[in-house]
Amino acid sequence: MTSPLPVSGDDQSDRTVLQPNGRPRPLSPHLQVWRWHVTMAASILHRISGSALSAGAVLVGIWLLALAFGPEAYATFTGLSASPLGLLVWFGLTLALTYHLVSGIRHLVWDTGAGLEPKMASLLSSLSIWIGLLAGVGFWVWLFVSGSVSL
Amino acid sequence: MSGSTKTFVKGVKVSEHHGAGEWKAERLSSLILVPLTIWGLWSAATLAGGGYDGALIWFQSPVNAVLLALTLLASLWHMNMGLKVIVDDYIHKPSTRGALLALIAIVCLVLAFASVFLIVRLALGSAPLPAGFGA
Repeated sequence: MTSPLPVSGDDQSDRTVLQPNGRPRPLSPHLQVWRWHVTMAASILHRISGSALSAGAVLVGIWLLALAFGPEAYATFTGLSASPLGLLVWFGLTLALTYHLVSGIRHLVWDTGAGLEPKMASLLSSLSIWIGLLAGVGFWVWLFVSGSVSL
Repeated sequence: MSGSTKTFVKGVKVSEHHGAGEWKAERLSSLILVPLTIWGLWSAATLAGGGYDGALIWFQSPVNAVLLALTLLASLWHMNMGLKVIVDDYIHKPSTRGALLALIAIVCLVLAFASVFLIVRLALGSAPLPAGFGA
């Protein structure tokens, strides 16, 4: 009589639980077991970019505060914003915004029930990442080319 | 939970609690934010490098002031809901979760009131702060 159940160590996860009958049973696969897929990456990026934008909302509040406090406060704010670190922060927030915007539209499409077939879902996820990235980079190319921002 | 009457629409169970309302509010705020965010990016590009005077001139347009206030209020509403979902997902201890949700709501409310106050001042061309506050 052979056991159809894998013994401890046979399953790839190496995570087992002992059943009341004394046999080991594999636990359901956890996060590190799943193969990365673009829909998964797009979903996680949506949450990360949204969290980053919360910090961005605070920065916009500080921008308003600096502007309301007059020219000297505003010069301090724009000086910090135009520093290499400041530009990096604004660039990162731009990418978070363009990605979250495009990815959010993808979610609104999915909410109608459309585009949820595996191939279409993967395509829409890849498109969100690429369009979000290109829009964010394009925005900064435009800022540099128009001369609004320089290093 | 037990004894509740389950209602179905087109074979899908209708939410018995407040889940459907939250879902709809998230989608409504998203729909509002799509055009406002595009306008916001365009405005940011207009304001970048324009300096103090450029920003003040920008605020003299009531359309800009109103749209900025709407953008920030819709964003903070959306942000409060988004952060709440993250906390609900990962924080299970009721006291910690409640404290975090309260903190997030307070931050969003303070940002909302402060932003509208500052936008109104800038739109009216008020003297720089702390004018009107003892200076």
